[in-house]
Amino acid sequence: MSAPDAALDPLLDASTHAAGPMRAAVSRLADAEDAVAELDRALRHPGLGFVLFFCSADYSLSALSRAFTHTFGEVPVVGCTTAGEITPRGYERGCIVALGLDAAAFSVSCALVDDLDRFDLPEAQQLVEGLIDDCRGRPPDPSEGVERRFALTLLDGLSSREEQVLATLEAALGRIPSFGGSAGDDNRLAHTHVYAGGRFHDRAAVVVMVATRLPFEVFTTHHLRPLDHKLVVTRADSETRRVLELNALPAAEEYARLVGVPVAALDAATFARHPLAVRIAEAHYVRSVQRVNADGSLSFYCAVETGIVLTAMQSAPLLEQLEAVFAGLVERLGEPTLIIGCDCFLRRLELEGRDQLEAASRLLGHYGVIGFNTYGEQHHGMHLNQTFTGVAIGSALPRGD
Amino acid sequence: MPGGGPYAAFEHSVLLAEQVRERTETLQQTLAALNRAKAEAEAANLSKTRFLAAVSHDLLQPLNAARLFASALEGQALPGESRRLVTSIGRSLKDVEALIGSLVDISRLEAGVLRPDVSAFPAEELLGVLAEEYRQLATSRGLELRYVPTRAMIESDLSLLARVVRNFLGNAIRYTARGRILLGCRRRPDGLEIQVGDTGPGIAPEQQRAIFEEFRRLGGEGAGDDRGLGLGLAIVDRIGGMLGHPLSLASHPGRGSLFSVRVPYGRSSGPREAPVPEPAALPLEGARIWVVDNDADIRDGMAALLGGWGCRVLTAAAPAELAASEVSGAEVSGADVPGADVPGADVPGADALLVDYHLGEGEADGLAVADRLRTRFPGLPVVVITANHAAELKARVRQAGYEYLLKPVKPLRLRLMLTALLEAQRGRCSAR
Repeated sequence: MSAPDAALDPLLDASTHAAGPMRAAVSRLADAEDAVAELDRALRHPGLGFVLFFCSADYSLSALSRAFTHTFGEVPVVGCTTAGEITPRGYERGCIVALGLDAAAFSVSCALVDDLDRFDLPEAQQLVEGLIDDCRGRPPDPSEGVERRFALTLLDGLSSREEQVLATLEAALGRIPSFGGSAGDDNRLAHTHVYAGGRFHDRAAVVVMVATRLPFEVFTTHHLRPLDHKLVVTRADSETRRVLELNALPAAEEYARLVGVPVAALDAATFARHPLAVRIAEAHYVRSVQRVNADGSLSFYCAVETGIVLTAMQSAPLLEQLEAVFAGLVERLGEPTLIIGCDCFLRRLELEGRDQLEAASRLLGHYGVIGFNTYGEQHHGMHLNQTFTGVAIGSALPRGD
Repeated sequence: MPGGGPYAAFEHSVLLAEQVRERTETLQQTLAALNRAKAEAEAANLSKTRFLAAVSHDLLQPLNAARLFASALEGQALPGESRRLVTSIGRSLKDVEALIGSLVDISRLEAGVLRPDVSAFPAEELLGVLAEEYRQLATSRGLELRYVPTRAMIESDLSLLARVVRNFLGNAIRYTARGRILLGCRRRPDGLEIQVGDTGPGIAPEQQRAIFEEFRRLGGEGAGDDRGLGLGLAIVDRIGGMLGHPLSLASHPGRGSLFSVRVPYGRSSGPREAPVPEPAALPLEGARIWVVDNDADIRDGMAALLGGWGCRVLTAAAPAELAASEVSGAEVSGADVPGADVPGADVPGADALLVDYHLGEGEADGLAVADRLRTRFPGLPVVVITANHAAELKARVRQAGYEYLLKPVKPLRLRLMLTALLEAQRGRCSAR
């Protein structure tokens, strides 16, 4: 741990965002133990109450688990693997970015759902009640003012269980706003993990409840606009998120025809540029294609069903749209603001394809975004694709407090 | 959870989120509309209150002058028929004054400008006086008023509580054709209950709440000669609420009513001052009185009234004139008023100053004028006259060591005050 470019660099880029009750840190060291030690030095202070991290799937997960448990001890640590990290410098890969929350400003509780297949409403209710109780029982003193809560969910991004789990959880959360992201694995589509309770889990979800008197806003946004072309899903396997036929033709073939490339040329970049969406109640919800299967079917990152109509979508300028959203948040919440962002990895692919990654990094850094590239985002119980979803937290207490 | 697989679950979540969003939006719109409506209603109410206060204030000014004129006229030798008419005019003006007083009171109570001044005092101090006052009225109506004295100490705002009990007594006498009125107290664990009972027609249960609302008056015999606005009990109700004195009413139609107000007990705070004896109506003959008022009618009325009492009056319209002439050279509008003597330039001050608080836009107020004259004539007795009921002004006047008189000026009140002031002044002089 001595190469200058891998040196401790938690706050230099993000000093304006790291002050106060939220501290961000990043380590680019490849060794898990070294990386966690570096994070510890940056985040450690007497008030540290909670650590949230997003790490590259390249790390040795068992070594990371040991290091986190060993280093942070009693302080709860939650995180997940990613398809790319968002650090104070913007888009990066192969590193760990972490966020430390001060216990004086944030009361945090978390729980693990380790069996996504059997997660039902009674269990969800018990889980949410436990989180609320746990959250309430800690400082900050709730008598000092109104504290509000939001929930953060991190899900195994290859579990194909997001929709049911989220719908169930949302029913239990009621009015508490929620958002989150599905863990990634650098586009290898092999293993995605969430971390809680001292180890990494697959086919699992972590639910974090955060109570704070700081102003915050949970939001989601995307930059895609509908075109006229429609594709009807005429055969699908909803359990495996596979579409076998579009317009009664093999799905990959029909999609390739729509976007104007040979089936063999279909790749993640194509999927990023040519998204499909379902329309429900005036709004379009993107259904992102994951891959082409050998049988000519398409696998998706989210639920599909026979009979749904997919609308072809096109990009509007991504960065302008995102900047407008960020500016609105800053206007409502005050500066400086920290944003925990769940950013679909297909958006990053699109930016890479357009050679806009550096501009995007500057924008993300400017607005203090810490987060990761996801295999799907969650907002109010909805599993979404190709969005930027997160929470923005202002640093000034509301007036009158 | 919703059956039908992952996509159905997703659709369910979307529709749910959409519903929540719509409901939130509707709720916010409704809330905004509600807030707007509330703000408008409050603004309308406030402007009504202000309007009422302003109108009442403006009405008091000419009324004040009319009362003074009528009073001065009464003091002159008049043929029998004219005397009767003048007396009637005086009584009518008094009624108008009482009505406007009610309007001012209710608007002040609504605007929340009236602040209670709570102290401990023996209930007897209030009730004994009221019993005496209303016994005469009751007797004149052929009613008997029974009063049971009490030794209890209570804690309240004396004048506001007096309003309440007066209203009870007035109503009892007004609505009772024959029989008795009772004024008494009951010691309750949490306070002294002051009760006024009558053998009047009583109030039906369904009307017992309504009579505390504004502009509500019940019919029935005895009500014919009443000129009230039906504000009395509404005022009483607000005063009770403001003082935290619960009101209650027990009534049986045909048998009578019992109104009561419960007042917390007070702790005796050492020996109380002996009651000030009524000042003997010493003649004001020859007393030199300065009157500063920017309203010519008021100046004339005052000059007439004071002149009638044998005072020598000097009136001035504006403090500027006074300041310029150091009083002695002031515009002398009293010259043409019978009985008013005009002091020469060498007259060393006066026996008392009556000054209107509001002397017109851009002018110094009455307090400033009084201060200026006090500097020149130390110990000059000052009466500040105002239509402004604000407690804050009253406090300022008192603090400056001046007397305070509300418009419309009641001649008897003014006379007593002037007599007391002059007596005190003479007392000081002779003690020297």
